[in-house]
Amino acid sequence: MIEVKELTKVFGMGAATVEALRGVTVSIPDGDFMAIMGPSGSGKSTFLSVLGCLERPTEGEYYLDGRDVNSLEDDELADMRNQRFGFVFQSFNLLPRHDILRNVEMPLIYAGVSPAERRRRAEKLLTQVGLGERLKHKPSELSGGEQQRVAIARALANDPLVIFADEPTGNLDTKSSIEIMEIFQKLHQDARTIVLVTHEPEIARYAGRVLYFRDGEIVKEEANDELRRPDPDCLG
Amino acid sequence: MNFADLIRIVWDNLKAHRMRAVLTTLGIAIGIAGVIAVVAIGQGGEAAIMSELESMGSNRYFEIGPNYMKNETADSKTFNLQDHVLIKELSPAVEKMAPITLGPMVDLRLPNSKEKPMMATLYGTTPDLLAGLNGSTEQGRFLTDADVTAHSRVAVIDAGIAEKYFPEEGALGKKIFVQDTPLTVVGVMEKSPSSMMQALSSRIVYAPITVAQEMLNTKVISQLCGVAVSEEALPQATSDSLKILEKRHPGVSYMGSTMEEQLDMVNNVTSVLTLIIGAVAGIALLVGGVGVMNIMLVAVSERTREIGLLKALGARRRDIMQQFLGEAVALCLLGGLIGMAFGIGGAFIIALAANWPPLVSVWTVLLALGFSAVVGVFFGLYPASRAASLSPAEALRSL
Ligand SMILES: Nc1ncnc2c1ncn2[C@@H]1O[C@H](COP(=O)(O)OP(=O)(O)OP(=O)(O)O)[C@@H](O)[C@H]1O
Ligand SMILES: [Mg+2]
Repeated sequence: MIEVKELTKVFGMGAATVEALRGVTVSIPDGDFMAIMGPSGSGKSTFLSVLGCLERPTEGEYYLDGRDVNSLEDDELADMRNQRFGFVFQSFNLLPRHDILRNVEMPLIYAGVSPAERRRRAEKLLTQVGLGERLKHKPSELSGGEQQRVAIARALANDPLVIFADEPTGNLDTKSSIEIMEIFQKLHQDARTIVLVTHEPEIARYAGRVLYFRDGEIVKEEANDELRRPDPDCLG
Repeated sequence: MNFADLIRIVWDNLKAHRMRAVLTTLGIAIGIAGVIAVVAIGQGGEAAIMSELESMGSNRYFEIGPNYMKNETADSKTFNLQDHVLIKELSPAVEKMAPITLGPMVDLRLPNSKEKPMMATLYGTTPDLLAGLNGSTEQGRFLTDADVTAHSRVAVIDAGIAEKYFPEEGALGKKIFVQDTPLTVVGVMEKSPSSMMQALSSRIVYAPITVAQEMLNTKVISQLCGVAVSEEALPQATSDSLKILEKRHPGVSYMGSTMEEQLDMVNNVTSVLTLIIGAVAGIALLVGGVGVMNIMLVAVSERTREIGLLKALGARRRDIMQQFLGEAVALCLLGGLIGMAFGIGGAFIIALAANWPPLVSVWTVLLALGFSAVVGVFFGLYPASRAASLSPAEALRSL
């Protein structure tokens, strides 16, 4: 359960400050599939960063399963990102110098998992996203959709409860986007919490709940009555 | 993160910029090569000089000569043939004493030989010198008092000459010509253990001092070589000798030197050399280290986004720190290894040319590698801590 109250985030100092978040209050129950939409610059990515403990809020409260996140040390936040969270980014963010097996092993290395167990889990995850035959390939040898699948496998390495995805289909074509969203749907069915930022309404329709951001505030919240898989034709 | 993972990650990262890595390590390599070669050359040279000095005499050995610090040189009035006998009688601290008349470059040849004479050093001396030399005769005998008083035309040669002129048949009883004076070989000195000694000063002929003075047509005795009764008596022996000599030859200034003093002098010279060269190598390492720091800062700013990602995946501050420090240390160790190869190679070549033992000690190598690792840590610390303290979100936003 994620709960934030009156969350604000101010960038810069003095006259040149930007208020990226101006008092966001929301709670995300376990197993929720939430989409965040809104115009560019409305604070979606900033919100996701704060939720994912990639940066600290300027003000406001943040409780994860009842625990006060703001009071945690940097290393405790690192462990939280390692154990509880998985991240998927628009630009994949794979390590270009390592093969994809190693990429997926990275969070396991920081978790101190033994090499054999690490390899077993990474192989299994890559097989699950359909890349079991390409373990030794470098990211540059894969298509965008394949790279994003590696990124999802990596996000799942430590079996986290929450997945944060910032425009995961933003750089992908329709077909790859559908493949990726089907994986997210499966993760949701496995009772994981998913928070996903997107510009595309068709993508947002995979979520059970949609938050609309504008100027750093939530302006609207919609619930999708039932999870629908949109018709591929209307995506294009 | 365990050590094997760290190594693997560092290796993958360095492999991505092979050329850059090698060029960066150049400064370190030059510094380390310098250190190793210089230390090896220094140690080899020192060992060679030491063994030569040690072969000159025991720790009871001392020499008395004219005081060169007062610009005194030996002439026919400096010593005479009674001095050493008197000193031995008067000072209870002196056990042995021998005068030396030196023929630094004499012609040496076999009778009836058309070959070019070889150059040798002639030591005109008395039996006591043997005690001062760290060695004994391998064949025959050394000079005797009878040889000296009777002006016997005999010679003791060293192993080098014996090997050259009488390789098979044995030298004893054979005649050799020294400055066209025939001398009968009565003894051969044993081979010196030092290769340096063999190479540089093995051509020595010992003859009775009376004979040598006739051959060289001189009365000059260049120095007295003594042996004290014990190591503790050495200062006493030296000062007694000086006192007696100054009384017998008023107006002449003498100075004594012991083995220890000579070793100290050599040590002083080598330690000054080591210091200077060490400083030069230190500067090379410093410059190399700054180069490594520079390239690491470049790497940190190139990989800012990647650092942000690693943090998002759960890397703690220490993990990032380790990774970048590891890279800096690996670069420096690479430089150290390259430098070591060149340094050891250089040391061997020079040792070969100078004919002394190629002394590359394990300690030098370990020290050099350890030092390059320290350079890596020192100059990697700042870039690594910069990388480690980046905020994950900010790092991820950077291009
Ligand atoms: N590090 C920063 N320093 C200063 N301003 C920042 C920083 N990060 C974000 N901002 C500002 O905060 C606001 C919100 O940015 P954010 O990236 O959250 O928007 P977004 O909704 O994700 O936009 P987009 O849809 O284009 O990704 C923007 O005005 C942005 O310029
Ligand atoms: Mg954004």
